[in-house]
Parts: sequence; C-alpha cells; structure tokens
Amino acid sequence: MPLNDADLVARVLVDDDHHAFAELVRNHQSAVRGLLRQLTRSDLALADDLAQETFLRAYKNIRSFRGEAKFSTWLYRIAYNCFREEARKRKELVGIDESQLEAEQDPQTVDPALRHDLMQALQLLPLHERSAILLCCQNGLSHDEAARVLEIPLGTVKTNVLRGREKLKKTLAAWSTT
Amino acid sequence: MDEQLQEDWLDRRLREEMVYIDDAGFTARVVQSLPPARRLHSYRALILLGVTLLASIVTYLASDGGRFLVVAAYRLAAMPVLFVSLVAICCTLVMTAAAASAAWTNDRRIR
Repeated sequence: MPLNDADLVARVLVDDDHHAFAELVRNHQSAVRGLLRQLTRSDLALADDLAQETFLRAYKNIRSFRGEAKFSTWLYRIAYNCFREEARKRKELVGIDESQLEAEQDPQTVDPALRHDLMQALQLLPLHERSAILLCCQNGLSHDEAARVLEIPLGTVKTNVLRGREKLKKTLAAWSTT
Repeated sequence: MDEQLQEDWLDRRLREEMVYIDDAGFTARVVQSLPPARRLHSYRALILLGVTLLASIVTYLASDGGRFLVVAAYRLAAMPVLFVSLVAICCTLVMTAAAASAAWTNDRRIR
C-alpha cells in the first residue's frame, strides 16, 4: 500500500530515510516544476534548478513542517521563496512591468497569436496576479492556502485572482466564444 | 457568453494546461544532492551501552564487589509477600505511564 505524505515525512524525520524523501520528491516534482516553469516564463533549466533547490531546502528544514498545512502547500511556499530570491538576484522582482501593463490595457497591441495560447496570456499577467491564478485556479489551492504560500493577506489573494481572471478573460475573450 | 460559464471555461483550460511533467531523472538528481543520512541512532546506542557499562563497573568497585546486592537480596527475601507484590505493581504502573507518555509525545511530534 503506498504511503501518504504524512507517513513519508515521519520516516524522514525519525530515520532520516532518503528513500522516503525520494518518494515525496517523485509525488510532487511535477507540480513544483510546473509552477516554477510558469513563474520563470518557461525557462526550463532555471525552473528545474529552482525545483532542485526547493526540495533540498525542504529536506534540510523538514523539522519545521508542522503538518498544519498540506505538504504540497508547504513545498509551494518554499518554491515561491526560491523563485523570489532568484528574481531579486536577477533584478526582476515582483512589480508591474510597464510594457506588460500597456499591452494589458490595450488588447489590440497584443499579438493575435497569443490569444490562442493560454500560457502566453498568463505570462502577460503581472507576477502577483500570475502567481495567485496559478496557485488557485491551476494547482487547486484555496485562497487561504495561497495566502500562506505567497505570504500576503487573504484579501489581496482574492483581489489578485479576480483581477488576473478578468484580464485573462479579456485577453482570451475571442477564443472563449469559439 | 455567461459570466459563470466563461469562468468555468477559463478554470478548465488552466487545469488542462497543467500537464504531468515526466520525472526524467529529476528525483535521482535531488537525492544525489542531499547531505548524507545521519548515523545518530547507531552512535546513540553505542554511547548508551558504553555509559551503562562504565556505571556498572564503577558501582561494582565502589560497593565492595557488589556486596550490597547480596544484602539487598536477603532483605527482599525477608519482606512480606504482599509488600513485595505492591512494590512490583507500582513499578509496573509507573513504567507503563512513562512509556505511554513517551509514545504520545512522539506521535504528536511526528503528526
């Protein structure tokens, strides 16, 4: 019978069991790498480096996992922090990129081909809205869980999801009616 | 298009875009980068065994070759059976309570 996350974490805590940790990595690698790929705008190499760093930090700090949230939520939080640190290093930290905002405000300036590609549309969103949309709408986290991951107030998450969703709908309006 | 329908469509599309990413050696790379597993348990056992042996030797030497054990055995044999039974029951209860408490604390820590 496959072990659940709590059992695997317990094995890592008590016996420092690398096999149990490998099982945790196998179970969550796709979601973590997927999230990081979206956050890094499909920079696969960078996303995988950050994912590796995420799991390494998770292993080193597994004693701080209290089980109050789901293990996946805790991992997303580490992944998001890794991404933010990397973004700071690269001076691309959270904030609305002016050119993106202009493109957002005037849908006509957006390449028509992008309207047929949801991922491209997502990447046009500012980071704080993109992160909220990815966590809540794609990864199925509740607003409360997303607030913990992003370390922002619950109300801000709801606003970011709402705004992000509105912008996506606007950008993809033509596509959604087909 | 109805607002709700449009939102459902958007959420569905987003979830569909979340494709499974094949492991392709990723887990192996992560496990390779982990620090070596702790050997604390085997060290702990050795330390406990060593301290126990040392304490036993010191006690044996300090007690005139363990003479106190013979005296204690004589005293125990002279005690009433009821008293010895009561002491045994009390010891069992104390040990059971300590073990249950340790198990409960560990369980909480793990969860």
